[in-house]
Amino acid sequence: MKTIAIEVLVACAVAVTLVSVLGMLRMRNAYQRMHYIAPPASLSAALITIAIFLQRGLKPESFKAAFTTLVLIGMNTIVTHAAARAFRIAETKNWHPKPGEEVPINRRDEQVEPQKEAA
Amino acid sequence: MNVWEIAAQVLIFVLVPLAWTAMRGDPALRLVSFFMAGVVITLMMMLLTMAFNRMPMMDLAMTLALMSFGGGIVFARFFERHLR
Repeated sequence: MKTIAIEVLVACAVAVTLVSVLGMLRMRNAYQRMHYIAPPASLSAALITIAIFLQRGLKPESFKAAFTTLVLIGMNTIVTHAAARAFRIAETKNWHPKPGEEVPINRRDEQVEPQKEAA
Repeated sequence: MNVWEIAAQVLIFVLVPLAWTAMRGDPALRLVSFFMAGVVITLMMMLLTMAFNRMPMMDLAMTLALMSFGGGIVFARFFERHLR
């Protein structure tokens, strides 16, 4: 039973990674592609860690895998944000919205005031 | 051949399109492919550790995850300043 659970977990992790990579390749620009890094970095890593815990129990390698997963989750959020910010600055010299630019904002989000262009 | 080895082999083939897109095209798309490849290689190292039953190799996956963080930030900064 445990072996089947491990096999299912690992298979799901690989399937999530495979689908994410294929989905990423279908996207048009870098902003869309960056979304596809999240599933392997969070879901796949977590599934593999659970499988390692099932196979090895409470051993140091299991906790190292858990730490690696936490690092991947944290790293992904920060690096994705930093990269998106860098792409935006590379495109427009400033990552704030331009005057009159449409910015999709949820009602509950903080309101972003467009910056006025320097004369 | 156990499930860990099969999974690691599948992930090796997943790296092929990522390597291809990381080598050509727009710099922004290449950088995203590079980030994705870092995550996939980290997962692959975790799987290979279990496949070969060499538990100290888990340190490599952990180190790669930590180093990818620094590398990603540096690449993003470099892109922002120089690769326009």
